[in-house]
Amino acid sequence: MAETHYESGGSSADFDLSQFYQIFFEEAGENLDLMEQMLLSLNLETADDEELNGIFRCAHSVKGGAATFGFSDVAELTHQMESLLDKLRRHELMPNAAMVDVLLESADASRGLLACHQSGNVGQGPATANLVSRIRSLVSGETPPVAVVRPPEAPKMAPTESPAVPQPVPAVAPVASGGLRHLEIQFTKLDQPTQADAIVELFRDIPGLGEIKPITQENIAADARFFEVQTTSTNEDLLDLFAFHVSREHVAIADMSTSGASAGAQESAGAQAVTTEVSTAVAAQGFGFFDGAPGLPQSLVPESSVATSPIAEAGSTKVLQSVAKAPLVSNAQPEAATIRVAISKVDQLINLVGELVITQAMLAQNSRALDPAVYQQLLTGLTDLDRNTRDLQESVMSIRMIPMSIVFSRFPRMLRDLASKLGKKVDFVTQGEATELDKGLVEKITDPLTHLVRNSCDHGIESPQDRVLAGKPETGTITLSASHQGGSIVIEVRDDGRGMSRQKILTKARERGLDVSDQMSDAEVWQLIFAPGFSTADVVTDVSGRGVGMDVVKRNIASLNGTVEIESSEGYGMKVSVRLPLTLAIMDGMSVGVGNEVYILPLSSVVESFQVKSDAVSTVGQGAQLVKVRDEYMPVIELEKVFQVPRYDSDKTSDIMVVIEADSSRVVLLVDELLGQQQVVVKNLESNYRKVPNVSGATILGDGKVALILDTGALVRRSRH
Amino acid sequence: MNDSIGMERVSDESNGKICEYLTFRLDREEYGIDILKVQEIRGYEPPTRIANAPSFIKGVVNLRGTIVPIVDMRLKFNCANAQYDAFTVVIILNLHQRIVGIVVDSVSDVMGLVPDQMRGAPDIESIIDSDAIIGLGSLGDRMLILLDIEKLMSGLDMGLMAEA
Repeated sequence: MAETHYESGGSSADFDLSQFYQIFFEEAGENLDLMEQMLLSLNLETADDEELNGIFRCAHSVKGGAATFGFSDVAELTHQMESLLDKLRRHELMPNAAMVDVLLESADASRGLLACHQSGNVGQGPATANLVSRIRSLVSGETPPVAVVRPPEAPKMAPTESPAVPQPVPAVAPVASGGLRHLEIQFTKLDQPTQADAIVELFRDIPGLGEIKPITQENIAADARFFEVQTTSTNEDLLDLFAFHVSREHVAIADMSTSGASAGAQESAGAQAVTTEVSTAVAAQGFGFFDGAPGLPQSLVPESSVATSPIAEAGSTKVLQSVAKAPLVSNAQPEAATIRVAISKVDQLINLVGELVITQAMLAQNSRALDPAVYQQLLTGLTDLDRNTRDLQESVMSIRMIPMSIVFSRFPRMLRDLASKLGKKVDFVTQGEATELDKGLVEKITDPLTHLVRNSCDHGIESPQDRVLAGKPETGTITLSASHQGGSIVIEVRDDGRGMSRQKILTKARERGLDVSDQMSDAEVWQLIFAPGFSTADVVTDVSGRGVGMDVVKRNIASLNGTVEIESSEGYGMKVSVRLPLTLAIMDGMSVGVGNEVYILPLSSVVESFQVKSDAVSTVGQGAQLVKVRDEYMPVIELEKVFQVPRYDSDKTSDIMVVIEADSSRVVLLVDELLGQQQVVVKNLESNYRKVPNVSGATILGDGKVALILDTGALVRRSRH
Repeated sequence: MNDSIGMERVSDESNGKICEYLTFRLDREEYGIDILKVQEIRGYEPPTRIANAPSFIKGVVNLRGTIVPIVDMRLKFNCANAQYDAFTVVIILNLHQRIVGIVVDSVSDVMGLVPDQMRGAPDIESIIDSDAIIGLGSLGDRMLILLDIEKLMSGLDMGLMAEA
């Protein structure tokens, strides 16, 4: 099952989901870590809603991602976790320690499953049936007694699950699997034979360790002590215990119950030397064995190989060691493909490169006067510097910017699966995939968009029969579009489904005890769905309906200083617009000169530009100016007046007109000159200053000067008043 | 100077420890600001003008990729002349994670003041909001006007921040 997703992912030619696996694994890992932290710090008596919601959101995000990528085992497990957490945050259940335990184990199991998917070892992850059934019984309100911990069907326990038996003393844990063993332990070449007597005390002091009896034989050397031991502990545990008194090189452990030869072996001094040597090897390799798989229970090691002889044991240890190390090696490789770096470091890099470019430009300027014959080497160096600086700047810039298509191409697969699961027919349309967006924003916008698209498909689009009954085409359409608008990036999720029912939301809100009234405007009503836990869905599915989605959407977008707007028309569909500030985004700009100043116009809103004679402008009434452009009269805005540009050269006037379009209306800007087109990095004016009217941001020009970016939306609106 | 002529010792926030102040000149007055608020000192370069801003906000400059507003303290404090020459300096301040530059005539030095050298602000009418004056520093025949630059810059009349 899990293997099929690799095939289908590869076989479809138009997109390849596997390129996003790494991002998902990183995100999921972070979410699981965060959840673990929150679970650990959760105070059971005073758990507040915020904490529980936070844990819930982590599980929800992991589930959403896992479902998108077809990791059904992870999705199933996290879905169960989510169900339990949902009950908790609705206060239908009280959190208790058993729940926290099972959630933590589930998080571990999810991690294990993800690691297997990541390394491609599908099917080798921890079994989750036990965990799933335990969570189910907790969800249904059963108290978690031992019966729950040990399910009747006794599934094949995978390594990570064995700690499910809450045994506080690790030494006792192997009782079930290891069984009682009868050993002979030889201490040789002791500096002080009394050291061995301390071992006897050890067995007396530690309850459950076993029994020890000294073996007295005539041919034992004066610096040696032999003991007969009955214990349930592993050789490793014993060696660790003994290490307090006797170093490992002096200890040899042999099994008495199966190996009759050991009795003979101890009599020969030569054999004794071999034993010592081998057990040294065991001790040395034992470290690797223990580090590699600390949770590996005794049952996995074949009884016989432990029992037969020290040499056999050394062999099996080696095998285990390589088994334990194999996944580690294959894990390490995918992680090296990307590194996650703090955004602030990248920002710093961009700023420093910007400075470098300016310095370089200054050097180039100053070197122009130099005689090429005399300073040939210096000039060659400066040319190289020029090229390298440009390359550097380009690559540094490209670190941050990625096109929206990266985000958008995640969705067709998810929607297809979702639609077939829900028995719906959905067309997916994307617009503006080339809109470049800062990587930081892309990462943060992906989750909210996933929720929105899932919501559209699950709640928005009706079943084919209902659509036909409503007189709509059988196939619904979900449109995802991105565009730059009025100094923001707007991402819209539209569907032509059933829209939202105002009445249903108000009823639901009253049920939940929210303060609502029938007089609320539509916009206010739609905002209600952003309340945590709010859902109008009749049935909770693993797709949506718990009401967590919109709460996450709103929170994530608000953290980016963005807004979410909803338009809905019952029966005709709805549109969710996510508006994000332009901060950090790169934009194609057109620089225009007015007086001695330079302003940047977003190229996307520039329609055309042309030179006019002053008599082409006609005035209306109080002096509002209009110009006729191809049979259409458009309002004229003189940038010189709007920005109070000082004129030193009174002869010069603005005679170039630039037609701009924003919010689907056009105005003409009057400027002095067109300076050129360039990509500009949009900087926020508000971080150190304040919002400036008609300006959406600022950028730094090639000469290091600051230029203001015009807010075309505001200029167009201005002309209307 | 003693208490009888209406001066009171400044004792808050400076109990016994030396406070260091960066001193600068505006016209003939000498001011001091907390050295810890100062990020760097630069020469003056013409900023990009911002339309409809108060006259003392000269505009914004590029400080290694950050857009920083520049306030001319001489215009703010109504100094007689505000010339921009080779000696005009900009003190870049870091206040509440916001960066702002102030234009002054010159920077003198860094002074460590012990509480004994600090006097309370006299109750007089001045262009500076009296809340923004911590006190006066007395150094022999020099008088330092110690400014709470953070308060001064975040005042609404500065227009540096949006009115919440």
